[in-house]
Amino acid sequence: MSNVKCSHCQLEFDETVMIIEVKPSETSKLFFCCNGCQGVYHLLKEDGLDGFYDKMRNETIAPPLETEHDSSNFDLESFKQRYIKIDAEGFSKIDLIIEGIHCAACVWLNEKILDKTEGVLDATINFSNNKAKITWDDDTIQLSEIIDKIRSIGYNAYPYDRTEEDIKATDAKRDYFIRMGVAIFGSMNIMMIGVAKYAGLFSGMTDSILHMVHVVEFIFSTIVLFYSGWIFFKGAYFGLKNRIINMDLLVSAGATITYIYSLFILFGMKGHSYFDSVAMIITFVLVGKYLEVIGKKSAMDTMDKIKSQVPIEATLITDGGKKVVSLDEIIVGDIIEVKHGEKASVDGKSIVGEATFDESSLSGESLPIEKGKGDNIYSGTINSGKVMRYEATKNYANSTLSTMVNLLEDALASKPKIEEMTNELSKYFSIMILLLAGATYLGWYFYSGDFEHALITMIAVIVIACPCALALATPIASLIGVSWASERGLLFKEAKFIETFAKATTVVVDKTGTITEGKLTVKSQSEELSSEDLGLLYALVDGSIHPVSKAIKKYLNKKFETIEHYELENIEQVHAQGVSAGHSEKKLLGGNSKLLIANGVKIELESEYTEYHFAVDGLLLASFELEDSLKENSAELIEYFDEVGVEIIMATGDHEKVASRVAQSVGIKTVHAGMSPLDKADFISTLKEQGKTVVMVGDGINDALALSRADVAIAMGSGADVALAMSDVVILNDSLKGIKDSFVISKRTYRFIKQNLLLSLVYNILTIPIAMAGYVIPLVAALSMSLSSLLVVGNSARIKLKKEI
Amino acid sequence: MDDVLQLELTVGLFISFTLLLLFVWSAKSGDFDDTKKMMDGMLFDSPDDLRAAVEKENKQKEMKAKKAKQKEEERTKSL
Repeated sequence: MSNVKCSHCQLEFDETVMIIEVKPSETSKLFFCCNGCQGVYHLLKEDGLDGFYDKMRNETIAPPLETEHDSSNFDLESFKQRYIKIDAEGFSKIDLIIEGIHCAACVWLNEKILDKTEGVLDATINFSNNKAKITWDDDTIQLSEIIDKIRSIGYNAYPYDRTEEDIKATDAKRDYFIRMGVAIFGSMNIMMIGVAKYAGLFSGMTDSILHMVHVVEFIFSTIVLFYSGWIFFKGAYFGLKNRIINMDLLVSAGATITYIYSLFILFGMKGHSYFDSVAMIITFVLVGKYLEVIGKKSAMDTMDKIKSQVPIEATLITDGGKKVVSLDEIIVGDIIEVKHGEKASVDGKSIVGEATFDESSLSGESLPIEKGKGDNIYSGTINSGKVMRYEATKNYANSTLSTMVNLLEDALASKPKIEEMTNELSKYFSIMILLLAGATYLGWYFYSGDFEHALITMIAVIVIACPCALALATPIASLIGVSWASERGLLFKEAKFIETFAKATTVVVDKTGTITEGKLTVKSQSEELSSEDLGLLYALVDGSIHPVSKAIKKYLNKKFETIEHYELENIEQVHAQGVSAGHSEKKLLGGNSKLLIANGVKIELESEYTEYHFAVDGLLLASFELEDSLKENSAELIEYFDEVGVEIIMATGDHEKVASRVAQSVGIKTVHAGMSPLDKADFISTLKEQGKTVVMVGDGINDALALSRADVAIAMGSGADVALAMSDVVILNDSLKGIKDSFVISKRTYRFIKQNLLLSLVYNILTIPIAMAGYVIPLVAALSMSLSSLLVVGNSARIKLKKEI
Repeated sequence: MDDVLQLELTVGLFISFTLLLLFVWSAKSGDFDDTKKMMDGMLFDSPDDLRAAVEKENKQKEMKAKKAKQKEEERTKSL
């Protein structure tokens, strides 16, 4: 059977597993991968929003979530007080984070559906950080109805507290953007005028025209220096006030000296003006500063995303019934009720016999965990079974979820601490050049008594030594390395991670989703089934959403071209064991050995894999063994790191037996199993304390903390949002070969960075003494400075010459 | 020759500074805050989208007028 695209989410599936719709009036068919997609498709069609599918172009989206959400929390008084603000006109306002936005079409759809909703005044969604601002009339519509509207089209929304810092960071980003825009504008114009000026130097130009050109350059460079460069003057002032010589002082001093000298030229002194250098210095440094500001803002957005996932309230069981309280009000000993699909708010112990929790946020394992009476319930895990109750053993501040959020916040605040050797080097280099330039001026002034000559020689020293080549050495090579990587689907979020990755000594990998696919597949089937039994088994697994049943269904679809269809009766989900059902007086059972043994079926298979048995009328017909299959190239990756001498360690939340088996099959020698997210993070810290440069590869929410602690964090493109936000490198195609490729690219790029640094240092050592001796005029100095930059750029261009990795 | 150049430069400066002011005004109004959305902006400028934008503006005007009237009524009642 061929693969077809789902008419809503555009993901491709086998035609046999699709819901097919044929309209009598239309010749074409509609295919849907699930009921959710089908529902949303028709909803959009009815609302006239089917233009969404044209705007999606080739993008795919995730199918709508099937979890049941109760939106009534959004109308509680305590919620309103915390998150909703009333503006001067009397409209309500809230800041939300929209989950599930993949492309610009998703933003369009959410905005349009809210705009069409009665009572909503305005809905604006920021595509870059998925934050939304909604304004509505509380007399016409409730917030819960707005949230339901968003959920009805397959997205989800969480409120977040817009802090003062967030507002300041947004303003700072905008301010830097405007200053940078003005600087780029000024520099580009000066460069254009510069072409005329330099051409005139060779072909001849009257003094009056040269003066005119200088006036234009003066206008642009004045704006760039005093408007765009204002932040450097401010930084230098505060630095001096605290007796610190910072980069801002050097940038502003260098640019101002050059500007003043050029003013002398403008007002009649003979020589060459350097207004263009003034604008260029400010522009280049400002672009770097702007990237820093963006980095800080995106760290804040990531934190808001993480915080928005924390439950807002919990339901307490009191003598008088149920009471909804905020998390801070929960004390040890309180009894808490958690509904299906809700997150546990604090740590505690189960007081009911049967419960099932999805602990993937802690262990990374997708299979639900059974919880008996007295078992630990961890905050942040999701109740995937029936309504259950548990007793709080910790308050919110000491619970797992709160600890993780606080640690992530600390990690994000201190993340960019990676050595920036070149910047440090530039700083000392600049101080030294300023001192040398000062000494040159004084030396020449006292030696010759000629102010102009002394000034020109000093400027020549500053210009020739302008650490452009030194400053370019790392960024230009990194930029070429990053673009080469991105062509191969490897996204380096910042160029500096190239350098750190190249120096890696240890790679820590997660198991599920990284080394293995993270999805169960059938490994073996004990007996062949008759066509009737096959149809019955298919009907049985089709009715369950449990991952094991889904894996069996997928296996059957793949293996058999035609499967007979049967309707089952009395379908009953047996808690955490399987499904029982009836069909024309036959009793069907499908599930783990516990279920079948409890129903008197004899099971002989003892397996270390996940088991699924199928029995009809007490007779075992077939048993299946399921396993999480290894990803392609996993063994090759481990072998490669072994060859190049990088230590590779597996750190997983899974059981030791399973972890060891997987590690052995791919050749990993060191395994740490049963690790909680905190254990993983501590493990990374311990490795770093031992002086190792650690790379962490993971994909789940449970890896986020460890990723934030690693020197370089690599996430698989299909990983959880939080893991992607925490990562420094994203492997977009999920392939393990991508990890090897990014390592090879980093190593090669780093080698070129070192070559570039050497080139620029040799150039400066040779030329500075010549300039100090007065043998170089500023124009030659400027040309020579450009030549050194060209040398570095040319050398870096060789990085991509290697075709095969 | 000098006069012509002078005129050209003056006109050029005037045009470029007008554009610069427009950029600063637009950036200060938040038009460049969402860089990703901005890049895809031309995808959402179809006649239907423009019509929807006008409808939205009218809806906002109506809602604001209704709310103001409601507030005024409440104020009169309380007096």
